[in-house]
Amino acid sequence: MDYSQTYAISAAGMNVERLRVDVAAMNLANANAPITVNGANYQPLQVVATATRAGSFGALVGGGLVGPQAVVQPSTLLPRQVLEPGHPAADAQGFVRYPGVDTTVEMMTLMSATRAYEANVSALNAARSMAMKALEIGGSK
Amino acid sequence: MSAEAIAAISAIQEPSLSPSIAAGAGATPEADTFSSLVTGGIDKVNEQLMTGQVQLQQLAAGEPVNLHQVMIGLEESRMSFQLLMQVRNRLLEGYQEVMRMQL
Repeated sequence: MDYSQTYAISAAGMNVERLRVDVAAMNLANANAPITVNGANYQPLQVVATATRAGSFGALVGGGLVGPQAVVQPSTLLPRQVLEPGHPAADAQGFVRYPGVDTTVEMMTLMSATRAYEANVSALNAARSMAMKALEIGGSK
Repeated sequence: MSAEAIAAISAIQEPSLSPSIAAGAGATPEADTFSSLVTGGIDKVNEQLMTGQVQLQQLAAGEPVNLHQVMIGLEESRMSFQLLMQVRNRLLEGYQEVMRMQL
């Protein structure tokens, strides 16, 4: 069936957006865990999505359309320093280092991932309603 | 000589024309092919329904299954079932048309 390919493409898109939401939630959850000298320190993560195949649209159609892939990579953001002199993880100047998670950026990621997920669902629903319409061809009523 | 040639040609062409007939030699080719088509379609629909059911059970059991993949699987099985129903409607219409024929 041809519509199952559309479903697979939309599903790949939804997988990527789910991964972005998961990673943003992970970053937010670990944003306030201070970096200690000998503890399990959190490295902020980011999702890098890649199109599966490059080339012209005709080549893509001929070789079968496939959705995007995504990998999770550690981001290279520097830790943020907060002045908390009484904190057990504070250094000699009284600074505590936290993972370089930007809460605003993570919230933006959450919002855009939610909207992109909705867009994928809309595309899937469009393909579905087209297939349902095709089943009505030649109907008695 | 010519009979041998015909036999040789038919031995080549018969499986290529209807590969599914080889098992059931007694049945007529048309009926066998059509019934195998219908049976294969029903089997496929049933398989998809069972896959959806297994995914639902996995989801209910708390296994890490993506919700959208379960829903897409269910939707695919529903679409296949709708296709099956439409084929059945057309067949029944044709059958009833034949039965109403004045003899």
